[in-house]
Amino acid sequence: MFDAFIEGLFLVLQWKAFSLMMLGMALGFAVGLLPGIGGAATLALMLPFIFKMSPAEAFAFLLGMHAVAATTGDITSVLFGVPGEAISAATVVDGYPMAKRGEAGRALGAALMSSLLGAVIGALALALAIPVVRPLVLTFGSPELFMLSVIGISCITSLSGLGARGQLKGFAMGLFGLLLSTIGQERQSGSLRFDMGMMYLWDGLDFVPVLVGIFAIPEIVDLAVRGTAIAGERKPENLKAGVMEGIKDTFRHFWLVFRCSAIGVFVGIMPGAGGGVAQWMAYAHAVQSAKGAKEREGFGKGDIRGVLGPGAANNSKEGGELIPTVAFGVPGSGAMAILLGGFLIMGIMPGPDMLTKHLAITFSMVWTLVIANIITVLLCLLVLDQLAKVTYIRGGLIIPFVLLLVFVGSYTANGQIADLIVTLIFGLLSYFMVLYGWPRPPFVLGFVLGKVIETYLFISVSRYGFAWLKHPIVVLLILVMVIVIAYPFIQQRRQGPKNPAHA
Amino acid sequence: MRKGRIVFSLILIGVGLYAAYSATGWKFKAALFPLAVSIPLIILVTAQLLLEIFSKGEVSDSSGMDLEFAADVPPDVARRRAIGAFLWVAGFILTVYLVGFPLAVPIFIFSYLSFQGRVGLPLSVTLTVVAWLFFYGLFQRTLHLPFEDGFIQTWLGM
Repeated sequence: MFDAFIEGLFLVLQWKAFSLMMLGMALGFAVGLLPGIGGAATLALMLPFIFKMSPAEAFAFLLGMHAVAATTGDITSVLFGVPGEAISAATVVDGYPMAKRGEAGRALGAALMSSLLGAVIGALALALAIPVVRPLVLTFGSPELFMLSVIGISCITSLSGLGARGQLKGFAMGLFGLLLSTIGQERQSGSLRFDMGMMYLWDGLDFVPVLVGIFAIPEIVDLAVRGTAIAGERKPENLKAGVMEGIKDTFRHFWLVFRCSAIGVFVGIMPGAGGGVAQWMAYAHAVQSAKGAKEREGFGKGDIRGVLGPGAANNSKEGGELIPTVAFGVPGSGAMAILLGGFLIMGIMPGPDMLTKHLAITFSMVWTLVIANIITVLLCLLVLDQLAKVTYIRGGLIIPFVLLLVFVGSYTANGQIADLIVTLIFGLLSYFMVLYGWPRPPFVLGFVLGKVIETYLFISVSRYGFAWLKHPIVVLLILVMVIVIAYPFIQQRRQGPKNPAHA
Repeated sequence: MRKGRIVFSLILIGVGLYAAYSATGWKFKAALFPLAVSIPLIILVTAQLLLEIFSKGEVSDSSGMDLEFAADVPPDVARRRAIGAFLWVAGFILTVYLVGFPLAVPIFIFSYLSFQGRVGLPLSVTLTVVAWLFFYGLFQRTLHLPFEDGFIQTWLGM
């Protein structure tokens, strides 16, 4: 096994594989910065180019590209409040307020370092878990996966508002997101739902225009309203010191980063959940780890822990997603399904062979994840000074360029003007949500998870009736959900008069 | 602000009612999930609306874990600037519809920088050229993204 581990490293370090990994990383870097053009889409575009490569070269190229997109997606989230990747949306919540406070360097330093640690932990999990993960994945059927998704929404909704009224709004927004995810053709019966006679809506609302509208437009409008630079009128921060502070923050909150990485790995292993869920669960965990309502108030206004948690989970989930893909040929996400196509092109059948005959290739994937992330973070740290300076350019100069990225990104979803209109509509909706204090994170998570939840619910009910509610793991997960929902109240009650309740 | 919050809650209730009403006419499989979601949505937002109407004193607009708009700009100025920003966004979409992305990009960037950003002509032109080169080089030449022709080009048969 150790020999294969070392052989995997040498496979990646061969000049051709290494050069292809660097090329993939360059592509992933650009894709990560551009809103809307996701890592999965780029994987699909690049798949035809691997035909003449060896398996180790092909996976170095594809995984190098995929691993980096998640890391650099955080950069635009912090600098402009525009998620570079769908899986970087949670970083906006605290990263962008930090940039507005003149702490872009610190936020970026923390995002990059936590991404690196997350990637390394994810890769280690991949290396260690393959032989033992089979029973875990086989234990989770549709009922358990349904409950896991519901817990994901409960986590974020229960923490999205202050006090009971905040929770009420959080749950309402989660439900609203779930409701809008039902637009389009229903998968089981083929019925059209809420299509309003428009063919555009038959496939449902695409995630990219909705997400970009929800997160980017209110931030851009706020920047226009303030009429200043993103960092306001503040004097430029000492960027080097800020970046170093962000790196130190990562190690100061090492156990939080570790736990969030573990969440990312776990969510990655579970088929269908994906990075959209991992980041929000990690964010919710970061909020829940805060001691008391007082400490929790900083979240959403630029708490470093809100950057560290999602940053770590985003990248660790790559290793987690690879586990079922490599070991059983069950892709954990769309990107992994495309990667599975890469396996087949290479003539490799995922499954037990990957643990015996092709073990060195499996370990080469582990090494690619680690090496690609280390190089990316080091390169990013070199140019971070210049990147963070963008937050001191006045809004009037920045806004048209950000809008250009936002709308080109949205347009790539379906290549229709309707995508732009959807972005505008959700931008307006999001503006009023922020204005009237309705939290956006539960809405987004509900929207992302809606189709998955409906499918799992349908399969659970069709197969087991209501008996699935008695499955031991489902009962356990229901208990976890109750604790998750009740925890903020219990914590509030415990602190009692020291922290007055936010009603 | 209170009036706005009430109207927003009413719109959410309206959406929930429309969803629930529409779902009653569908097959069971298609209706189950929208009904299971829209009914609690209506209940929760109604509860929030009642709290809004009958609660005493001003309630904070903070959602706790989310963006908060700048508080140091007077409300009427903020409203005017926000409407202006949305009009620019809508204007960009309209321009894309009329002339297509490749032409809309330089038109929008130059107009925004000149009229809204109050940037001098030389810098506006330079930045517009840079933006167009970026757009053309990356999205058209490298990524080969297909951009539709605008309404005007189609109408003129160009």
